Amino acid sequence: MIAKLARRGAVWLGALALVMLALPLVVTSNFALDICIRVLLFSFIGVAWNLMGGYAKQLSLGHAAYFGLGAYTSTILLIDYDVSPWIGMLAGGVVAALASLPIGALCFRLRGPYFAIATIATAQVLMLLFLKFRDFAWGAEGTTMPNLGDAPLMMQFDGKAPYYYIVLALLALGLAVTWRIERSWVGYYLVAIGEDEDAAEAVGVNAARIKRDIYMISAFLTALAGTFYVQYIYFIDPNTAFSFNVSVEAALVSIVGGIGTLWGPVLGTVLLETTSALLQSWLGSARGGVQLTIYSLILMAVILWRPTGLIGLFTDAWRRIVPAAAKRERASADG
Amino acid sequence: MAEALVVTNLSKRFGGLRAVQGLSFSVREGETVALIGPNGAGKTTSFHLITGFHRADAGSVKAFGRELVGLRPHQICAHGLARTFQVARPFGTMTVEANVMTGAFLRDRRPEVARERAREAIEFVGLAAKAMSPARDLTTIDQRRLEMARALATQPRLLLLDEVMAGLNPAEIDQAVALVGKLAARGLTIVVVEHVMRAIMAVARHIVVLDHGQKIAEGNPNEVVANPEVIRAYLGTGYVHAPAAGAAPC
Repeated sequence: MIAKLARRGAVWLGALALVMLALPLVVTSNFALDICIRVLLFSFIGVAWNLMGGYAKQLSLGHAAYFGLGAYTSTILLIDYDVSPWIGMLAGGVVAALASLPIGALCFRLRGPYFAIATIATAQVLMLLFLKFRDFAWGAEGTTMPNLGDAPLMMQFDGKAPYYYIVLALLALGLAVTWRIERSWVGYYLVAIGEDEDAAEAVGVNAARIKRDIYMISAFLTALAGTFYVQYIYFIDPNTAFSFNVSVEAALVSIVGGIGTLWGPVLGTVLLETTSALLQSWLGSARGGVQLTIYSLILMAVILWRPTGLIGLFTDAWRRIVPAAAKRERASADG
Repeated sequence: MAEALVVTNLSKRFGGLRAVQGLSFSVREGETVALIGPNGAGKTTSFHLITGFHRADAGSVKAFGRELVGLRPHQICAHGLARTFQVARPFGTMTVEANVMTGAFLRDRRPEVARERAREAIEFVGLAAKAMSPARDLTTIDQRRLEMARALATQPRLLLLDEVMAGLNPAEIDQAVALVGKLAARGLTIVVVEHVMRAIMAVARHIVVLDHGQKIAEGNPNEVVANPEVIRAYLGTGYVHAPAAGAAPC
């Protein structure tokens, strides 16, 4: 029974992968492809955030710190040392993972909202450092990437399609890591910590170590997104790289989609980003701020009526439409 | 028989309050010992000190030959001491099975092995019918069962049960007493904090009585309930122990 379910899952996943791979062949408009790339990028950041913020419920609002460190590491390596951003991307991930150690050591002393506030501060401090130390990294002006034309080895391409495939691969990596963790003992430990840290300690969970490790993984993945983003827009400055928006989006897409679930952040991003893009194109020119107001109303509605995220809505609907699916699930659970 | 737990001169202050002062007692392997006393006597604090949730100001806790003061709760659990909480603390969104698997992962990281161990523990406490229910949907007694199963899944040598009978009705108390008896029969060493005298008389071979953070008496149940100091501090002068049906022979 489980094997059968797994096969069905694999079929769905394969179909989805095919659609995603074929998409740039069908969607040729640069505008539409740009939206797709942003959706995939924020899905990926959401997935990275969700590992710690969703499963272990450590609500970080400072993931821009790692996004920015990834972006700056690869850019400094590229411009000052001629190192390919492909290598810079990994280096950025390592820098972010290492930076998460002292940041985590400080912030994990706090719990709940205090933790969230402390993480905001860490991202802001990093932004200020990069703003003030002009000699080190161009200060507030930022810099543009050297345009090398079509240079795949330097992560620069003519069209948008290659960027699409890179960020799709990143998202696939993030989902694979999450899937692997969710099914292992680490996944159980993360959820246990999120539910009740003391009770988790009482059954032998080394909460401090697990939180440290998952924070490192989350920071590493977020940094990859940072490198990708500045390579994609050919520009970096502290306000872009350490933007508070990145921190908020990372949390928001997961919360709207459903925290602590594999597909929650993806679902959340698809809904939020497309809504925001569509509202922008319909209403953006009508009256300033109208689209933002409607966007905020939608957000409030979701948080009020679906505090556990939209993914629950979908699974409930699925169960209602296909009662057999629920029965199968129970059967597989018992068998 | 060897000593499972030796508590020596244990003390803890919270500001001006001496929660536990100079507490000493020991538990032999395979024995069931009860800590009793009025509210605020320091029973739960003692549990917190033994299991590492509070750090002792002075004194020592040795379990199976190893000093526990200074260790973190997860290390103490790994050393073979598992506890339950006075107010049950299940991982609410997880299923009963996932809750217990979380305990089982301490000894084996493989999910299929942990699931097997969890099933055994759930079966043992009589929760098998609810293995796939979310833990937050359980009734009080089932939450207590879950806590015991989760603790059992860590394969402890010493089990510390903090008021597992609180909030249960008389029929449920009988079930819980039977369950503790079953655990003891497995050879587990058990320390219980309890208020329900009927249950204590049934399960404990040895009773330690606390009042204002100090030990005021200890001994076998019949000695303790006859002790005038214990009657004054805790049981009340009207207390007469009726040997309940099903009470363990002491």
